[in-house]
Amino acid sequence: MRDNAEQMDRRGRGNPWGRHIKSIPEGGYYLTLSCIMGSFFPGSESMIPRVYDLLGVRWGINSDAGSGWTCCTGIAYHGDVMPIEGTLLTVARLWSIAQASGLPVITPVCVTSFGVHLECRELYEKEPGLKEKINRLLMDACGRTFEIPKHIIHVSDVFYRYRDALRDRHFHYTLTEKGTGRPLRVVDHVGCHYSKIFPQQHAIGGAEDCRVLADPVRAWGGEEVDYPERRGCCGMGFRQCMITPNRGATIARTLKKIRSMAPCRPDLIVTNCPGCTTFLDKGQWAVHEVAGESHFIPVLNYVELAGLLLGWDPYETVGIQFHTVPVEPLLEKIGIPFDRSRSRLEGDRYNVGPPFAGPPTAG
Amino acid sequence: MTGLKAALTLDEFEIPSVIVEKSGELGGKVRGYGKTFPDFRSGRALVSGLVKRVDSTGMIRVLRNCTVSGIRTEGDHYRVRLSDGTSLDAHAVILAFGFEPFDATRQEEYGYGVCPNVIAAPELEALLDPLGPTKGRLLRPSDGKPVRKAAIIFCVGSRSKRTDSPYCSRICCSYSTKQAIEIKESDPDAQVVCFYMDIRTYGRGFEEMHQYAREIGVKYIRGRVSECCALPDGDILVRAENTLLGKPVQGVFDLVSLSVGMTPSPDTSSLAEMLGIELGTDGFFISADGGLSPHDTGREGIFLAGAVTGLKPIRDCILEGTSAGGRAAAYLRRRRA
Amino acid sequence: MSSSKFPADFDLQRQAFPGDDTPERSAPEDTGLQNQSGANAPWLDRPTCPEEYRRLRLCLDSLSDREILEGYRILRDEKVPRAEGWYYPNVRILHGTAFEREKDRREQKIWSEAHDESEVARWYREAREKPCAWWVENHIIARHALTSCMSCGVCTSLCPAAEFFDYNPRTIMEIVQEKDEQTLVELLRSDTIWYCYQCASCKVKCPRQNSPFGMLSSLRQLSQLKGYHVHSIRGRQQVAARHLWGGNLWNRACSLYYRDSHPETHRDFGPRHETLYRSIEIAFRQVGACPDMSGSLSARKIHPETLQEVRRLWHAGGALFLWQMIDEAAARGAVEDGLTIDEYHDKAKTEG
Repeated sequence: MRDNAEQMDRRGRGNPWGRHIKSIPEGGYYLTLSCIMGSFFPGSESMIPRVYDLLGVRWGINSDAGSGWTCCTGIAYHGDVMPIEGTLLTVARLWSIAQASGLPVITPVCVTSFGVHLECRELYEKEPGLKEKINRLLMDACGRTFEIPKHIIHVSDVFYRYRDALRDRHFHYTLTEKGTGRPLRVVDHVGCHYSKIFPQQHAIGGAEDCRVLADPVRAWGGEEVDYPERRGCCGMGFRQCMITPNRGATIARTLKKIRSMAPCRPDLIVTNCPGCTTFLDKGQWAVHEVAGESHFIPVLNYVELAGLLLGWDPYETVGIQFHTVPVEPLLEKIGIPFDRSRSRLEGDRYNVGPPFAGPPTAG
Repeated sequence: MTGLKAALTLDEFEIPSVIVEKSGELGGKVRGYGKTFPDFRSGRALVSGLVKRVDSTGMIRVLRNCTVSGIRTEGDHYRVRLSDGTSLDAHAVILAFGFEPFDATRQEEYGYGVCPNVIAAPELEALLDPLGPTKGRLLRPSDGKPVRKAAIIFCVGSRSKRTDSPYCSRICCSYSTKQAIEIKESDPDAQVVCFYMDIRTYGRGFEEMHQYAREIGVKYIRGRVSECCALPDGDILVRAENTLLGKPVQGVFDLVSLSVGMTPSPDTSSLAEMLGIELGTDGFFISADGGLSPHDTGREGIFLAGAVTGLKPIRDCILEGTSAGGRAAAYLRRRRA
Repeated sequence: MSSSKFPADFDLQRQAFPGDDTPERSAPEDTGLQNQSGANAPWLDRPTCPEEYRRLRLCLDSLSDREILEGYRILRDEKVPRAEGWYYPNVRILHGTAFEREKDRREQKIWSEAHDESEVARWYREAREKPCAWWVENHIIARHALTSCMSCGVCTSLCPAAEFFDYNPRTIMEIVQEKDEQTLVELLRSDTIWYCYQCASCKVKCPRQNSPFGMLSSLRQLSQLKGYHVHSIRGRQQVAARHLWGGNLWNRACSLYYRDSHPETHRDFGPRHETLYRSIEIAFRQVGACPDMSGSLSARKIHPETLQEVRRLWHAGGALFLWQMIDEAAARGAVEDGLTIDEYHDKAKTEG
């Protein structure tokens, strides 16, 4: 924790920016997986346990037939087909399993889940008697009981905590251009439900100057680049992206985000939310088709970024073939070798499709 | 101002007093104001007028760069311990140490302290001051470019539970309007946009000043600003809703000034503890009898004046200084009798 | 449960369910669905024209509850061994079909009838009979979402929906604050409430610490409970949402399934996505995921015991009641429009 505070001071932000510091326990993580990440970036999901093991932290996920993890129902809740009580119970069950496993720290992979877990916890604080009621319903339904967890930490917080350890002990590459050593220009997009629902207590650096991605980017050699729409929503919007006729609303936001980033000439967009990763990546194709703009700035979530810098195979482990915007040009910049044939996307599909402009190169 | 006025009032009753001034000069914040509202008189002139009178009477002793480190009852009077190690005896104490402007870095979404072209109202005041660092020319901090488009954001650190300051600071609407007029009058082609929630120009002449501002082309948009973003060239993108049109709006400005509200002076809580005076939930002193004795405290002989009991424009502070001086004089006379 | 299994000797990818001794088998003869996962499975059709919709409906109506439920279960659990673990080939065939939706409706009806009404469902059933003004004062989300609003507009200022639509969270909070029943009903019948992205950009800025996005979420629940949502195009889409996320939860214990991004409905994801999707299972296995397989990562086949447990939670949490309300409103809408429920669903999903 003190380490985080010093980081803030070094950057000269002074007190107000450093006020939003939370303590990130060193281990005892109960991993709750994400239905979005698992559907769109399965490589990221499989890498998290590997990174945890690499760091030697104590963590776990449940494997018993009857006590398997389930989704937090967050998408269904924000998509309005799950009453809050259903979500409270689903989350309470996960807490109960984590506590029975002796893992006190809930670490959701997904930003929506992170928000949902925290919202549940806040409801218990605001509503006297709610915990007793949910405990009773949980006991009646499946014989479990839960306590309100002290720590609900997003997996990107864990990476934030261990950013220097990863770099010093495990990384093979840095976020710099091969040959010139130029720090790569990185724009970040922090998921709204990470930083906006409980900015004071649970977002590193708060909502306005969130450090959860920017500090690791700096630590890993990149240059943090600000852009005007930085805190704007990616457009995912639950029902806006999932119900096909509404997706124009999503793409309109993606367009605004990408247009705001482009003049900053970023080499990379980094994210911490599976939904945002999906739509900032896939949305760039729609932007290309709808607005005729070929930005194609590579998008990586923090796990993929760490995986690549760790030197893990881009296709067999990281899964960059799941991206609509090719990541290969970024790999070439950093100097990470890759075997294109492993992508299993036909050779001529390596470039996105029609004229591939590629991200602008600085200098 | 309040303290000077109180001392001068005591002087009229031929009661000697000591002014304990924390800074090196008398006159508090008003000393730094080129112009004050609603009549655009010089704050500096107001203060120097009072200071001249303070200096000319033999009854007022002034201790500069001096603070109170302790007060205790001793016989029939208070013994006031001072920061220089000396102490003085007083039969009555008037607390008139004013307020502290809201720390604009706490309203993080406006980027104060991060974007150089987002400034707070006291800095705008200095930039507009003919005797200030730019000799009254409005040049923006990042590159010295003359400001052609300025935004003034009202209610920064006021009326917000998020910053723990739910109260209205009372003077911001008026001083901001005064600043807008100054910008507009020095450069009629400059654009000045004020983002406000409600315009509370309640005092005599305040609303007329507001109407004048609108007449000379200062633009008012009803909507609280949600964020300021720095653009690569240093310009500031400001977003709000025009709530009267029901539409989100945004504009790009050379300079953004944050009309910060007032917060209790940092000395308030320590003095409250030292003297056993009650504080309100807003952090300001509470006067006795549920406000019926506005200057009195629970402690006999200790009186309150000016912004220590909440926020006031200069005019009200002058009034409070006068009446607190009168109240203390009455107390001292009855005590003698 | 034992906690000793992980992390040391627990392999996320390959872990078969402990004690999982279900024998490999095909659908038994008596379900009538035997070997129907191939070409000759009219009940698994994905119809495209009114005639096909009618035919499919006749076929589904002809099947008994038992045939549908048992048949689905057996097909779902049919498995083949793979080097990495058990593979369940039929999950993808069942996913998103009218058959699966029919199964869900019947199964949930049977489920609800077999269990006592949950206290949460009872609360919602009683709440739907009360005025909207009562709801905003009493629903657990709504009552914490608004204390008082001074109409400063900071919520609308950063709202992505206000940017593109005729939508204004501030005026919605104003309407809620006013509590005029007629205006509230109009609001709940309109497209307006469905534009919110649920991004929380409003909550973070509100000087009164209100939560407009929380209020919107609560109003949407109410709109569906009262059946007002079918009066707007965007609201009508909830029947699709109920089967998309609700179906994934009910059958796979995840709001999303990795095949939901079918290129046909996700043309905007581009040609690379289309190429990837053609061999998506292989791509998943390549990075160590377990698509429709035993294991513990997202695309895994959920274990029936885990599924059973969360289903009980969603019954207790009132989800089944909400889904029933959405289904009833959709059934009425289908009759009014002269469509089968399947065509009504597909229309709602693609209209707007």
